[in-house]
Amino acid sequence: MSETVLRSPAGVIAPPGAARGRRRRSVYARRRGRSGLAFVTPFMIIFTLFMIAPLGYAIYQSLYTTKLIGGTRFSGFANYAAVLRSGPFWGGVIRVIVFGGIQIPVMLAIAFFFAAIFDLGVARWGPVLRAIYFIPFAVPIVVSSLMWGFLLDPAYGPFNRLMNAIGFQNFNWLSANLMLPSIIIIAIWEWTGYNCIILYTALKSVPRDVVEAAILDDTPLWKIILRIKLPMVRPAIIMLVFINTIGAMQLFIEPTILNNYQAGVVSNTWTPVIDIYNTAISDGEYQLGAAMAVVLAVVIIAISAASLAFRSRRREFA
Amino acid sequence: MSAPPLSAPPPARPRAQTRRERRRRERLERQDAAIPVELYGLRRGTLTALTACCVLFAVFILAPVVWVIINSTKTQANIFESFGFWFAAPFEFFHTFANLFRDVDGDGTYSQWFLNTVLYSVSGGIGATVLAALGGYGFARFEFRGSKVFFAVIIAGLLVPITLIAVPLYLAYAKVHLINSIWGMILPSMVSPVGLYLMRTYVELSIPRELTDAARIDGASEPRIFFRIALPLMVPGVMTVLLLSVAGTWNNYILPLIIFSDNNLYPVTVGMGLWSQHASNSGDANLYPLIVMGGLVTIIPMIALFALLQRYWRGGLLLGSVAN
Repeated sequence: MSETVLRSPAGVIAPPGAARGRRRRSVYARRRGRSGLAFVTPFMIIFTLFMIAPLGYAIYQSLYTTKLIGGTRFSGFANYAAVLRSGPFWGGVIRVIVFGGIQIPVMLAIAFFFAAIFDLGVARWGPVLRAIYFIPFAVPIVVSSLMWGFLLDPAYGPFNRLMNAIGFQNFNWLSANLMLPSIIIIAIWEWTGYNCIILYTALKSVPRDVVEAAILDDTPLWKIILRIKLPMVRPAIIMLVFINTIGAMQLFIEPTILNNYQAGVVSNTWTPVIDIYNTAISDGEYQLGAAMAVVLAVVIIAISAASLAFRSRRREFA
Repeated sequence: MSAPPLSAPPPARPRAQTRRERRRRERLERQDAAIPVELYGLRRGTLTALTACCVLFAVFILAPVVWVIINSTKTQANIFESFGFWFAAPFEFFHTFANLFRDVDGDGTYSQWFLNTVLYSVSGGIGATVLAALGGYGFARFEFRGSKVFFAVIIAGLLVPITLIAVPLYLAYAKVHLINSIWGMILPSMVSPVGLYLMRTYVELSIPRELTDAARIDGASEPRIFFRIALPLMVPGVMTVLLLSVAGTWNNYILPLIIFSDNNLYPVTVGMGLWSQHASNSGDANLYPLIVMGGLVTIIPMIALFALLQRYWRGGLLLGSVAN
């Protein structure tokens, strides 16, 4: 919408005497177009070489099969058929969907709760607490997984001893049943601060007079937050759902590292990316791994598109 | 011809602004902007309860960091045997720290990995920021054939996660001999669709079109307009993108894991992952103090960097990208 307003600088610039301005303008526009191209070319080159080309190469590779005897030959969609039929792969996809389906709403609720508190300014030491919440964003996921691995360690971890002390004997945070919940806790630790800061910034931009009017009307505080402020930061929440979903679908580092603390729970196909890594790199079945990567990309794009469609539909009724 | 008005320095700020005065002014402005808490009509108990919630969550956030700091001083046995959240003699901090500079068990040296990480993330981050700043400005301020399509493709690239690129990159690298090459790590780290998108949004929101147009009428060349007028105004956005892309490369695990087989090229993340694997699989328990110390040394620079650049860091920039 604003595009059309922004797009007509040439009209501003054309010299006043230019009656035959049309041709002059187009020459001018072409020269500017060339400068524009010069600005974006470096990015486009690297982007093409290291994003488009590998993707294209993956799609190309995924259509071939290498046999020990007979070499590499075109096999059409055979790899895709194998991926679509693969139970473990889809088991992994479902696992990360469950993971995201729990972790993202819980984390966003916590993040919004604290963002609202910071925005109202009702808690003491707000700036210090905000800075503390943001610390995990600066910790590489490998390192946070290692730290949490020590804390949740089945034999020695302090959190395990805590559970033992309050009466749960033989409690194991990293057992087959609790591995996913534990990773959800770790992911909440990692990402709540980042989401909180973004929601806090969004809440700050809610116009002050709207809130003042609500206060004068004696609207209860929880209503001001949930009925007035929450709807106004919906775009930010949708973007966060989007970003977090893409991240959750790629779950890889946390289970890989935690596997070092509790062997035997995280299988080679536990999440799609673990599956892809083991298939393509460890087993050397590049083409099958490439097909898996393409399928996972399609799943991610489909989920993202679905959330966007949801967004626009909701908008029509809003 | 018209260079003087363009290159004239900005009016000198009043000299007397000490840091303390500035802080005070900022605090007053903040208080002015916020609605006084009393107006919400909350009881004292509620306020205390809310503060308590915040503090509890801060304890949850700080717990692993505190654990790492405390346990970086312990021996291997004490890391496991003693109470995790308090110190236990003997004090081994300096001994363990010194071991970070040695190849303890043949996997590689932490200090080497650390230098690699700094090299990869600084060069990758700076490269990503430069490309994103140029490209974002180009897309925000110019119309050219295909600009819409290019931009749409880049936005689609936002959806393609680096982990999915890693496997195809590995296949392609094998063909062009980029396995075990630092360029194989640095160049892909320069691709930042998010950075470009943020820079474009920032340019649109914060650089008045009249400003660049006026310079153009005055006959300034496009590079000159960019470097002398646009870039200084883009600094907060550039800082945010720089921070995000340095952090992104600093955290990257799967790409270096796949493309490097030479331990001396590993970044810290892959090296520590390897240590952790060896510590559990081959019972190399003397690696555990190193893992704890390595974790501590890895996170300190990033926290320092974020604290240092906090003034420039714009959460609002991330938000601005949602607004349109």
